Amino acid sequence: MFTDFFYLLKRINIPVSPTSFLRLQKALNMGLIISLDDFYISARAILIKSERYFDLYDQAFAHHFKGADLSEPNKFELSEVARAMLDDWLKDPKGLSELLGIDEETLNKLTPDELLQYFIDRLKEQTEEHHGGNKWIGTGGTSPVGHSGYHPGGMRVGGVSRNKSAVKVAMDRRYKDYAQDGPLTQSQIGEALKRLRNMVPSGPKDVVNIEETIRQTIKNAGEIFISFDRRLKDRLKVILAIDNGGWSMDPYIDIVQTIFSYSRNQFKELKIYFFHNTIYDKLWEDPSRMKKPLYVEDLARLDTETRFIIVGDASMAPYELMNTDGSIHMEERSGKPSYEQLKFIAETFSYSIWLNPKMANQWPLTRSINLINEIFPMFELSLDGLENGTNYLMQKS
Amino acid sequence: MSQTRSDSDFRGASKYVLDEELAKIINISMSMEMPLLLKGEPGTGKTTLAYAIAEALNMRLIVLNVKSNMKLVDALYQYDTLTRLNDSRFGDSKRDVSNIEEYIKMGKIGQGFVASEKVVLLIDEIDKADTDFQDDMLDVLDQMQFDIIEIDKIITAYKRPVIIITSNAKKDLSDPFLGRCNFHHIAFPDQDMMRDIIHVHFPDISKELMQNAIRSFYKMRDFKGIEKKPATRELINWIRALKADSDFRVKDLIKGDIPYLGVLFKKSPDYSLARNLNLRMRL
Repeated sequence: MFTDFFYLLKRINIPVSPTSFLRLQKALNMGLIISLDDFYISARAILIKSERYFDLYDQAFAHHFKGADLSEPNKFELSEVARAMLDDWLKDPKGLSELLGIDEETLNKLTPDELLQYFIDRLKEQTEEHHGGNKWIGTGGTSPVGHSGYHPGGMRVGGVSRNKSAVKVAMDRRYKDYAQDGPLTQSQIGEALKRLRNMVPSGPKDVVNIEETIRQTIKNAGEIFISFDRRLKDRLKVILAIDNGGWSMDPYIDIVQTIFSYSRNQFKELKIYFFHNTIYDKLWEDPSRMKKPLYVEDLARLDTETRFIIVGDASMAPYELMNTDGSIHMEERSGKPSYEQLKFIAETFSYSIWLNPKMANQWPLTRSINLINEIFPMFELSLDGLENGTNYLMQKS
Repeated sequence: MSQTRSDSDFRGASKYVLDEELAKIINISMSMEMPLLLKGEPGTGKTTLAYAIAEALNMRLIVLNVKSNMKLVDALYQYDTLTRLNDSRFGDSKRDVSNIEEYIKMGKIGQGFVASEKVVLLIDEIDKADTDFQDDMLDVLDQMQFDIIEIDKIITAYKRPVIIITSNAKKDLSDPFLGRCNFHHIAFPDQDMMRDIIHVHFPDISKELMQNAIRSFYKMRDFKGIEKKPATRELINWIRALKADSDFRVKDLIKGDIPYLGVLFKKSPDYSLARNLNLRMRL
């Protein structure tokens, strides 16, 4: 049952597995699903495994079941059904009139054509007010009427919260926000950065080392000697240097802010610095780059195991990178070109990467990006890029 | 529908407002004996749901709080080597040192398996653990048995527990994991739903206060740039605070004078942002 629907989901690229489809069949066979509402909810719970696809599912569902549900049953359908009723009527007048709750005598007086018309009228009525009887026409609820007769309030049990039929709920597209093609969000970035971990023992010695305890106990001639270890904790140091100046970074401010606020929660030992365009003599602790400078040569005093991450578009005029007086800020002219300073950072911190919000296919077009790429491994500021970048940062340890 | 309704169906609990959709999903997962994976932003009641199910169906609740460094075996059983070592040394306990089984303690999943009655097993925040843990755990939950290696004994679930798994992560769990459970994402309750929820917690709340508190709450949730949006829990606490304050008048809310912002916004940048925006709205 509902194989079409399953293939429709597959066709619109929702990952659905045959196993889960069989499971849905099981649920159907167990009699757990007895209305379209049930079907909407259960099929979603069983087949769809991520809220990102809920919206697509809603659309597919509405598309697939709309014909049978939302639109008024068309004339052809009605007359077909009415004809079937007429047949039934001819076979068993009493039973049908009882089902319809009308007097057999009244119907007897009508001509076949009138009778047909009467049935059609009744059917139309029925599509509007249909209370509970999905077997109205007697073919196990699978006849067109069984479907079309489906009506919010009719099949819905209780109808507590939002008196809407499954299709109407589906048409609402409540899950649009979770659809996949949205921008990078904080938690997505979090997932990518989660691998940046460096577990080292720290804190009080409160974990029993069983191997060591046994060894020590044997050494101790059977006198028990319990040996403790320190717990493993994440002690990774991270420096994040962000290019927050200039209009060229403006389009990426949102995404950088996201990564910024996430990393603040994630890393215990995180330092964030700011720079404009590229790094000359100083990095700044304050975003306005006015108050608290840190001289690049002072970086040498920090732990060289620190992971150094630079975020910037690396796009500038080549002289800004290569010239000794490349900085547009007068006071930052120590005689070393930024290119040298960047090299110094890369040599100081063996784990360093450059994250570029520009997409990789645009990189070859900008000369300064190529130059910086020679110094730092450069990654796209996208989920994939972040993941590759973190892999790179963690590979040697 | 009525023929599948039975006493074991879940329809909400004393302090939990359930929307119909979720109720159906829970019931279908219970009848199919599938674990149910719940996702949703914090404060949508993922964890509370398990408590509510346990309460409503009158079952014992076993909670496994997943931690990042947890190994699967910790959740299944523990072999208390230290006590055994101690016992063997001093020999003053009633335990039989040669019998390892006496030193096996059941972990949370293990407890759920050996329980003589059907229990609700809540596996909270599964996303904290690594993927191996998740996949291995689902193997265990799928087969409803595990092996205690030390004594080579297979523990089989006496009664298949009702399993609820929660996850905060936006990223999907691994495919084999997802393949084995039903899935639902709890959206943040809309205003109508929220009224019901508040009503359950404060049956005697005045209509005026409820209306205005909820309206202000949703307005503040929509503030741009808030890092941690206040959730249901914050709203309930906030209303509790409002009710406790004898000086508080509902009119203040209408005017845009919001007291106790700190109950709603727990981060200082959020707090000052919300205060500024509220001030601006009032002017």
